Amino acid sequence: MNGITIGQYYNVDSVIHRLDPRVKLFATLVYIVSLFIAKSPAAYVLAFAFLALYIGLSRVSVKYIVRGLKPIVFLLLISVLFNLFLTKGEVVLRIWKLQITREGIVFSAYMGLRLILLIVGASMMTYTTTPNQLTDGLERSFRFLNVIHVPVHEIAMMMSIALRFIPILVEETDKIRKAQMARGADFESGNIIRRVMNMIPLLIPLFISAIRRATDLSMAMEARCYHGGEGRTRLHPLRYHGADRIAYLVILAYLAGMILLRVFGI
Amino acid sequence: MSFIEVDNVIHDYVSETEEGGEVTLRALSGVSFTVQAGEFIAILGHNGSGKSTLAKHINALLTPTEGTVWVDGRDTRAEEELLKIRKTAGMVFQNPDNQIIASIVEEDVAFGPENMGVPEEKMLRRVDEALQTVGMTERRHQSPNRLSGGQKQRVAIAGVLAMRPKCIVLDEATAMLDPKGRQEVLKTVSRLNKEEGITILLITHYMEEVPLADRVIVMDGGQIRMTGTPREIFAQWDLLKELRLTVPQITELGHTLKADGLLSAPCVLTAQELAEEICREHPAARSELQTAAEPETQATARKADEQTSAGQAGPETAADGPENAAGGTVSVSDEKTAPEAADGPSGASGQAAAPEEARDVPVLSLEKVGYAYEAGTTMERWALEDINIDIYAGQFIGLLGHTGSGKSTLIQHLNGLVRPARGRVLYRGEDIHGKDFSLRGLRGKVGLVFQYPEYQLFETDVITDVCFGPKNLGLSAQECTARAQKALQAVGLPEKAWKKSPFELSGGQKRRAAIAGVLAMEPEILILDEPTAGLDPAGREEILGRIAALHREKGITVVLVSHSMEDVARMAQRIIVMDHGHVFMDGPAREIFIRTQELEKVHLGSPQVTYALQALRAQGVPVPPSARTVAEAAGYIRQALGAAKAGEVTA
Repeated sequence: MNGITIGQYYNVDSVIHRLDPRVKLFATLVYIVSLFIAKSPAAYVLAFAFLALYIGLSRVSVKYIVRGLKPIVFLLLISVLFNLFLTKGEVVLRIWKLQITREGIVFSAYMGLRLILLIVGASMMTYTTTPNQLTDGLERSFRFLNVIHVPVHEIAMMMSIALRFIPILVEETDKIRKAQMARGADFESGNIIRRVMNMIPLLIPLFISAIRRATDLSMAMEARCYHGGEGRTRLHPLRYHGADRIAYLVILAYLAGMILLRVFGI
Repeated sequence: MSFIEVDNVIHDYVSETEEGGEVTLRALSGVSFTVQAGEFIAILGHNGSGKSTLAKHINALLTPTEGTVWVDGRDTRAEEELLKIRKTAGMVFQNPDNQIIASIVEEDVAFGPENMGVPEEKMLRRVDEALQTVGMTERRHQSPNRLSGGQKQRVAIAGVLAMRPKCIVLDEATAMLDPKGRQEVLKTVSRLNKEEGITILLITHYMEEVPLADRVIVMDGGQIRMTGTPREIFAQWDLLKELRLTVPQITELGHTLKADGLLSAPCVLTAQELAEEICREHPAARSELQTAAEPETQATARKADEQTSAGQAGPETAADGPENAAGGTVSVSDEKTAPEAADGPSGASGQAAAPEEARDVPVLSLEKVGYAYEAGTTMERWALEDINIDIYAGQFIGLLGHTGSGKSTLIQHLNGLVRPARGRVLYRGEDIHGKDFSLRGLRGKVGLVFQYPEYQLFETDVITDVCFGPKNLGLSAQECTARAQKALQAVGLPEKAWKKSPFELSGGQKRRAAIAGVLAMEPEILILDEPTAGLDPAGREEILGRIAALHREKGITVVLVSHSMEDVARMAQRIIVMDHGHVFMDGPAREIFIRTQELEKVHLGSPQVTYALQALRAQGVPVPPSARTVAEAAGYIRQALGAAKAGEVTA
């Protein structure tokens, strides 16, 4: 898990960090949609400018963001290469049986750019929002689904509990692994089937522990009067401030710009 | 009507068998008692005595099969009163991690009020107050994962307090904590009881915590067997033993002296009290020689008493502050030892010193070992620095140190689970991280039993699980079974349990099965990380007895990590004290525990019998300054009193 920065919270204080998570959810959604309607170089310039503004205001280090792209470089290369070689059109270069077309170059360049913008844009959400704010934001934003009996509160509660227990379970995994190694278990050698089999002494105690924790936790929650989302109040309820309203306007203006560029084909 | 009324309550757990039938297990069979508002009640009982089931009835997490429970005038079976009962009687559970719901301290404290629908402004005030009361205000924006066990439990208490309860039930809430954490929790609870008048029901396995209570309820087999003040309960030592319980070590010393006819007080609870009683009954025992020299020791003994009975002082804010680094090793070998120690009774432990011929090559040695977490980053923390320890065959070593002192990291170096960043680990003179050295082979020779080892059980039955280790050593199935059987016998697990699923066993049995899993590899050295944590007194004794027998009869070298000074003192010959990643002390048990004040500085202390002797010395009774066991301390006191009597006669 070392060195993976994508999806992690980047702890600084900025205008963006202080925005309501619902605004950032909306921004992410709009940004993804906008990338799919972008066709022209001008549209990409606008999309890039918007992201640059977002990053600039968020005070997240650019180096940190670039590092976050590392795990997906491989994926990026494959999709770019596929598009480069497999797009039909005017051939500009031929290497052995492979051919590169003019359309291929343009298309794969757009493709790569779009993917990078997409991933960076989406990960800005997690860089600037704590997991708890994110869950709160999701709960509030999707509350309308209650009408069709989607248990929005319960799902959000499950998410936040999962987030709380991830570090605990990671630590526990390490402890059980070491304990079984002390009994001579081998997790490192052998072929793939052997290795999977060798995981059993690790996985079973881990599952049992997770179930035990879940039972304990549900009892602790009940003891503290938990009875679902009904009539629940919050310590820090989400509330819009001036900056949030301005942010909504900026996002809408950006979306309008992208649509106009598409409609007029610039 | 009393605040809590439990009237003839029966509780049955009903579970379905594989055949579709039903099995009924009666956990409570006719329990009745009342609690007045503002009382502090301790509930004792061995594992499976029904005390946790009883606790869950107070909070309406369980409702009676028969009988009635009233909490603040409300029947717990009334559906519509449920939430009111739960906010009246809050509950704190055993495992600190499994009861914190939110990822931020203050949000967790707010969880209860949020569920109750408390409006925002009021909620903020309640959270502030609750955090203030438990002394956790500074940590309010932190993740609970960064807190110590004691701090987490204080957050859990704050979570209950924010619901404005009239009563708090602590269901073995101190069982998983280290002594410092227990102290933090108990102080908080005592203060809530005294200052805010909150009714406390404290369920515990630690007899040392009982004197805090106004009244004690002792459970056995789903029934109440004894009730009374702590003093009344602890006076009945024989009955307690029958109920698989015990008394604090200091009380045991009092009882032992009483059996000798040296003390007439029916029950003593503190070292100071014991010393005063003895001096009152034997005024001749005070000799003038000693009185001048010992004001310090007297202060120490007083402090110890305050600790055991968790004084009424404010929250222990100092505990949260940065701990001052106390580097350097204190050598004890040249220290003056009490002359009396040599001709005193030779202790009841009966452990011989390590054989001399084995002394030349240590089995294991750590040479200038250092280890850092997150090495090479800005988060780098040195968990161990410049550790030099030689472990010789046949030794019984007690490893002490508060949580975070580096003990756990240290023992993981001994079987190569962790590779030192600096220095070397040698097994019989060979570097264990050398090229040709088999680490897996070493793990067969150096057995490491982790904390809560029962959490690693995974097989369908006990004996197969115990075979896992030998199987990994590449032994034949026959040899594996033979070794497993031997190991299970050594830990005293009855044969009828061998074919059971490990998850059907009781807590103490599971623990022993897990220890057998390491023993079956037939190690030369057995390292145990707090093997008695979370067990009831009988379970603790059983495990310690088995470990002592392994050392005595099979000559296994033992390294015992423990938080109990009493256990370590009576079992180990050599003590290593860790502090801030350094070896703080290393020497014979008797000499280490004389240094009570230094030990207290690193959040440890001495065994209660040592405090008793030190309190006696402060009163001028000529006894040695430390003892390892109750029998030894009783012997010293007997001798001192005998000498005094003889002196009286000649005069």
